[in-house]
Amino acid sequence: MTDTELRALCHRFFDAIERGDCGAVAQIYAPEFRMWVNLTGTESGAEENLAVLRDGAKLHRRRTYDDRIVNTFASGFVVQYSVNVVTHSGARTSLSACVVAQCRGGQITRIDEYLDSGKFRSRTQDPA
Amino acid sequence: MSMTDGEIRELCNRFFDAYQDRRVDELADIYSSDCVVWHNVFGGREMSGKDNLAALPASYEGQRRRTYDDRIINTFEGGFVIQYTLHGVQHSGHKGALWICIVGLCSNGRITRIDEYMDSGRFPAWRGAGPAARENAS
Repeated sequence: MTDTELRALCHRFFDAIERGDCGAVAQIYAPEFRMWVNLTGTESGAEENLAVLRDGAKLHRRRTYDDRIVNTFASGFVVQYSVNVVTHSGARTSLSACVVAQCRGGQITRIDEYLDSGKFRSRTQDPA
Repeated sequence: MSMTDGEIRELCNRFFDAYQDRRVDELADIYSSDCVVWHNVFGGREMSGKDNLAALPASYEGQRRRTYDDRIINTFEGGFVIQYTLHGVQHSGHKGALWICIVGLCSNGRITRIDEYMDSGRFPAWRGAGPAARENAS
């Protein structure tokens, strides 16, 4: 895939998650898709990840993936971003994360996600 | 001046070898004069390369040994992303591990910026403290 194709795929992926469009995310995942997260060190497949996304979308009023810095390499991309969440109570949370993705044939075959679980507890701010 | 894939990979490995061997002088040569280091933990603050180097000797005192293993490096125009496992042996003998990702920007043979991502929730297991340590040791 070209640099432009990889960048477009990256943004299509995060835009779909932002919209809560799990159908679009499912189309982006390759059949052999695997996801790994540094919080647990465990891998999961597409179906398991999609279920997490569906459940996660219900937890918040809004979730945006902002300040995306995308760099592409031969087989994929790395994206650094801020996840900004507004909960149903109006509280806001923000955390910095990084995803390294392997891509093939217009789809994502693997995601390695790095984030800090400490931010889940410490960064939530109630509305003023 | 732009760097080739080979030059960037070599610089990346040179950086981690120097970090592992506690060669602060070598790291000073690898950082550009305007290098900035940022972590997603420790308050998410930026620090200068010089301040980062100054903090290293005290940081090294925390462990008997650190190795930067399982390095997966991908390069892009102007930098690299490296995924690795940091293995540490504490002075107590406890062995811990952290999974870390660094995005490094490079220019003229030097690193100009480092963004480091890790999970602070793994720190107790890394240090050998608390219930998480038992999980890490199993």
